[in-house]
Amino acid sequence: MASYSSDRRRVLKLFGAISATCTFPFAGEELYGQTAHEHANFVPQSQGRFLNDADFKTVARIADLIIPPTETPGAIQAGVPEYIDLVISRDENQQALLADGLRWLDVQAKEQSADRFLELDERSQLAILEPLCAAADAEKPHARTVQFFALLKRLTADGYYTSKIGLIDELGYKGNAVRTSYPECVHEH
Amino acid sequence: MQQKIYDVVVIGSGAGGGTLSSRLATLGADVLVLEGGPHVNTRTDFNTHALPFEFPSRHIPTMRPGKPGFDGERSRGLGGKTMLWNAVALRFSQRDFKGRQHDDVGEDWPLDYADMAPYYDRVEREVGVCANYDHLEDLPDGVFLPPVPMKCTDIAIQKGAAKLGVKVIHVRKATLSRSRGVRPACHFCGNCMAGCDVVAKYNSYDVQMVPALKTGKLTLRGNSVVYELGVTDEARVSEVRYFDRETRAEGAVQGRVVVVACACAQSVALLLMSKSSQFPNGLANSSGQLGCNFIPHITAGFELFLDDFIGKPSENDEGFLDHAYIPSFVHDQKRDYARSFGIQFGYHNRRAAGWARSIQGMGKSYKEAIKARYPAYMTFSPYQEMLPNDDSYIDLDYEHPDEYGLPRARRHWKLSEMDMKLHNDMKRRCLDILEASGAQIHSISEEPSTNHEIGGCRMGSDPRSSILDATCRAHDVPNLYVVDASVFPSSSEKNPTLTIMALASRTADFIADRLQKKEV
Repeated sequence: MASYSSDRRRVLKLFGAISATCTFPFAGEELYGQTAHEHANFVPQSQGRFLNDADFKTVARIADLIIPPTETPGAIQAGVPEYIDLVISRDENQQALLADGLRWLDVQAKEQSADRFLELDERSQLAILEPLCAAADAEKPHARTVQFFALLKRLTADGYYTSKIGLIDELGYKGNAVRTSYPECVHEH
Repeated sequence: MQQKIYDVVVIGSGAGGGTLSSRLATLGADVLVLEGGPHVNTRTDFNTHALPFEFPSRHIPTMRPGKPGFDGERSRGLGGKTMLWNAVALRFSQRDFKGRQHDDVGEDWPLDYADMAPYYDRVEREVGVCANYDHLEDLPDGVFLPPVPMKCTDIAIQKGAAKLGVKVIHVRKATLSRSRGVRPACHFCGNCMAGCDVVAKYNSYDVQMVPALKTGKLTLRGNSVVYELGVTDEARVSEVRYFDRETRAEGAVQGRVVVVACACAQSVALLLMSKSSQFPNGLANSSGQLGCNFIPHITAGFELFLDDFIGKPSENDEGFLDHAYIPSFVHDQKRDYARSFGIQFGYHNRRAAGWARSIQGMGKSYKEAIKARYPAYMTFSPYQEMLPNDDSYIDLDYEHPDEYGLPRARRHWKLSEMDMKLHNDMKRRCLDILEASGAQIHSISEEPSTNHEIGGCRMGSDPRSSILDATCRAHDVPNLYVVDASVFPSSSEKNPTLTIMALASRTADFIADRLQKKEV
């Protein structure tokens, strides 16, 4: 977040440089130009956490298995669990689906002599989730457990790729910048 | 004290109302503009440069914190939809104005391209349109600023389409490719539809109305929601009744001429709401045609990944959203349907990757698949013209009033067999172009959807089948005009805004002339 703010300041400086160096004949009050966004939009999360600790941890674990840390951070570091918590808190149907799904995961864990899904090792966790993922990818999910996974995958993808880590560090988003012209394509097609 | 009578009262401040009111003020008429929404400061009020992670919900609100506007149909703001449009500015051609002569179905306009050409010239000079001179009969050239280079991804589509004999041209946009007066050239931040804070992209308020305010002849009144037009025994609009959006205090104003420019469905709704003993079915509706002939653009949507760009490094190719366009190419070919389509593509920006949720798998390979596809992602949307039919109309929903207690405009539309033939052929031809361009299709829209609301208050030479005459004046009410896309008798497949503006500018001249001759 801190480094983004400094990027933003650089952007604003560049705007300043452009309006100083480009020659607008009517420079002055009427000139339309970028206005500094001194107070950025970062809105603090006003409410407390919706999910209980255990559920939040399980959701976070699943999100991090869907988008794991690689050379770039994974879902947990990108704040995806907090995003999922916020979205779920606003939708009762999703709350019910999540509760059923989490309960089902613990039942699966018990069959492998663990108390809870979180206590399983990574391989056992993936052995439960990967078939759900395959079913969720194959057209419309009907089974409730598949719907549960589809929901978490959707929220994880949405949350990760709209985070600063996901959008800028992972995907390499470079837009929202100021250019004096648009470059001609120099690729060979 | 006697209430002031304006020469012209204009309801709505978007492409139609903004163009017409500024023109009339410049010609010396005393003009009042009533806008339902608040005054929006283009430079400071929009979230133009926000990114999703600035918000816990990741949803970027249109307005910055505490700034009102654009939260509903009756409260958009001064400038209307031109504040948030994508600025595609295409002229209609003679074929578009005379579709019936061309295909033997639908409805002709009561005017020709030659009637409109000088007004297209005028508005293009006024607002600045960047485009290439393509010398196409079906998409007339105009008064252009230099075009902006196509994106690399556009060139991949251009090469693919060329294999099929389909031409890809530079997009035509009312966005400055070089600075003009107080407006700088576009800086290609990629956030055009989030409100252009430097007004490189045209909006009616900053580009037309702000300069016109200097004449002293133009008065703007925001937050004024018009709910009824009163009418005299002589079938003239006597008064425009409105309430303040915030205080709900009621008011009324008078004009020698009244112009409705609330954007298609809202204009129709206002006339339908204005019932009187003379016009029990809505103002100027002796024909019973008000609300009929609703002909929005019908679209399909494709998401795709271009093979050549998968796995390439991410570059900043945001530009000003779409940089290219595929103009109609089937209109001269033998086919089993009437009318045509054009294709807009690459108008997404890369601030979001909503498609990531539907990439298969999970884990490291899933993450890699998304990163690889990110530079290759593209949207592709053909737009088709639909023909008017009895099942497509606008009416009022009194059962579910809006927050102001006013009935909502309700849109009904249904495609005929002919429209569906066009729709299916359009999708097939899009897939052909995409295949020839080396695209992996990610998603295809299942059902047709609408965009660009058009029709419902059409112009025509026969008062039995139209509401307005060729000058956009109501057949029934001699001091009432409508200038927005509701007046179009046929929609073309081309984006409507430049034609709304040219028509509004033309109607402004007719009104000025009648005011001068004291005919109103």
